[in-house]
Amino acid sequence: MSGDLLFFAVCFVALAVILLVRLISGPTMADRALASDCIEIVTDLALILFALWSGRGIYLDIALVTAVLGFIGTTIIGRYLGGEL
Amino acid sequence: MRIAVDVFIVIGLFFALAGTVGVIRMPDFFCRMQSSTNIATLGVLGVVIGGLIYAIGVLGDGGMAVKIAIIGIFNILANPIASHALMKGAYAHMKKPVDGLVTDQLGEDLVEEDE
Amino acid sequence: MKKLNPASFISVFILGFLFWMVITGQITAIFRNEASLQVIVAGLVVSAAVSLFSARFFIHEKAFHLCNPARLVNLIFYCVCIFPVELVKANVDMAFRALSPALRINPGIVRVPVDLKSEYGQAMLADSITLTPGTVTMAAVKDGEDGDRTCFYIHWINVESQEPEEAGEKIKGNMERAIRRIWE
Repeated sequence: MSGDLLFFAVCFVALAVILLVRLISGPTMADRALASDCIEIVTDLALILFALWSGRGIYLDIALVTAVLGFIGTTIIGRYLGGEL
Repeated sequence: MRIAVDVFIVIGLFFALAGTVGVIRMPDFFCRMQSSTNIATLGVLGVVIGGLIYAIGVLGDGGMAVKIAIIGIFNILANPIASHALMKGAYAHMKKPVDGLVTDQLGEDLVEEDE
Repeated sequence: MKKLNPASFISVFILGFLFWMVITGQITAIFRNEASLQVIVAGLVVSAAVSLFSARFFIHEKAFHLCNPARLVNLIFYCVCIFPVELVKANVDMAFRALSPALRINPGIVRVPVDLKSEYGQAMLADSITLTPGTVTMAAVKDGEDGDRTCFYIHWINVESQEPEEAGEKIKGNMERAIRRIWE
């Protein structure tokens, strides 16, 4: 139980909020897919820090599932843009 | 011990910040992709190494350490595949010739194949 | 449909079973004498079923190529010493490129010849190039008269040279030499 891990987790969430700018204003579809991928990774890191702060392992399972789903989603959007799907 | 954890997490935070600024500032899609790799490599590695030290040294919880290591390894292994697929798809989707490139040898070779 | 190779089935089975043991926490439970037989048997059944379906997509040739101490040592040396140095150098460069007010970028797509023969080596080199910020592999095509040579098309954020050999030396010089020691 220490405050600085929570502080770093809040910093990562702030980065995710900044990345929303690119998600909203991205000119093309690929920009939005890239921004959502970055938001997913940054949210993963915030979840790791929050799990360490609270001492509960259950948040790490959520982070693992988010990582797997974000990878699959980005790959499928790329395949769709390339016309292979 | 706590100082080492904080140093690693601050390194991760710095590179994640640099990647975020790059994603916001870069002029075209390919350069944004290069900056986002910054988040996915040293941003992830810094937080994961710091978290491993904290989970083993302070909490003494082996299960959490193993899960954090799996998340880090999975992110490092899966991110190049996702970014390669997205890059290829975006290049195929774009209008040719692509603006802002110094040289585009892939586009030249594709045009040669068509003729 | 490709034919299922027994060696690739066994290697994917071992990998899946290890992953199951780690995720369910049985690895630590064995040391505390609390391992449950039910969970282990379920893991055996599930990983056998999964590898029966998916092994033919993962491993095509030489499934136990890495079971050789010299290659394993080379692989660990690559993952611990050579690759992190390149990664940190490229990361610092890219971070200051993004944070500097002038935004010095000079992007372009260059064509780079690759001398590696084995598929695993080519995949590992492409992943390593994509993981270093500043370079992303965009396509890999067979080249040459009888298709025995491979070329990568690489998006580079700061094009220093447009000659294929010189650009290749700058992008992948150390990494390619180390990877050739592992896979060939």
